Amino acid sequence: MVNPEDFRKKLEISISQDYKVEFLGKNFDQIVNLLTESQAEKIYQWIKDIVDRKIQPIFIGSKKPYKDWIVNELLTFRYPFSVENTEYRILFVKVKNSFYIEFHLGDHKYYDKVRKDLNLKKRGY
Amino acid sequence: MIIYNPHNERLLNERMKEAEELLSQIPARYCFITGSFLYRERYEDIDVFVITRSKKTIALKNKKAKITLIDFNDLYSLFYHSISKSCVAKNLLPSRPLKVTISDYWQVINEAIPTLLNQKEEFYKNARFLVLYTEYLKNDEVLDTFQLNDKVNSFRDYKEVIGYIDSELPIIMNKHAKPSYIKRFFYTQAGYYKKLREYKSQDFLYELTHKIARGIMHG
Repeated sequence: MVNPEDFRKKLEISISQDYKVEFLGKNFDQIVNLLTESQAEKIYQWIKDIVDRKIQPIFIGSKKPYKDWIVNELLTFRYPFSVENTEYRILFVKVKNSFYIEFHLGDHKYYDKVRKDLNLKKRGY
Repeated sequence: MIIYNPHNERLLNERMKEAEELLSQIPARYCFITGSFLYRERYEDIDVFVITRSKKTIALKNKKAKITLIDFNDLYSLFYHSISKSCVAKNLLPSRPLKVTISDYWQVINEAIPTLLNQKEEFYKNARFLVLYTEYLKNDEVLDTFQLNDKVNSFRDYKEVIGYIDSELPIIMNKHAKPSYIKRFFYTQAGYYKKLREYKSQDFLYELTHKIARGIMHG
């Protein structure tokens, strides 16, 4: 069982930037509580790999606005994992050549919603 | 129970009964089961699909049953046409005309390439949509789950999938899109990818957009 506060802190240390990343997601803390230490370690490593530019981003060339940005200014990194037969997704969002802004963690429903907002999903399938 | 089996695949009799029982537990008129559960002795999940307007979660006692809810708006999608082509359904399934656009296809490619490069070992799973769209646009045929499995299993690794896209895509685009559209769409996309070429996936997509646009220029 992983403590959500520790989880956020460890991620913030790996991201290491002045801008404060928002940790978002319905049931964020409950899902973090379900993680094993080894699953959490894999997520910390994944974040380090993103910072080191070893992970490929998804980029959408769309002029749609997303909060204070335009979708084509953003890069999204996706990490799928499952706990007890339930699938979860992390979406980590970065402004191109700049800071990381959001860390989303949620189930499939939440993931679909964020995907729509980020224009990663135009149609149902 | 309705059995959709256009290619006369060998379905497992005992699974038909099990499928019927599972479907009867679902409180919806339109639901169906497809995938390896119907024809393979060994299977991982039972792929159950429910067409519904409701957002309520449906749970079945059988823990292997993986339920996906499909909205009525999604009945036009290639995904629905593929999964419902060979399946076992509770009732006659609703049918809608298929709508596939070049922009949808590019979105699938745009997402699949980074995913294939990030999860190299799981390319079978991540290449499915990509192969489904490519085969449809190449041959005008919607692959059902059996055919899609066969096609995806014919690739030995992620590199072969990427090579397949690299060679098929320019031909497909030439076949389906007007030169003026290709020029406009792909040069705009190339402009975006150009600034991200430090990433392998974006570099590949950049080269691919150029290859497609160049193909048009040279007829």
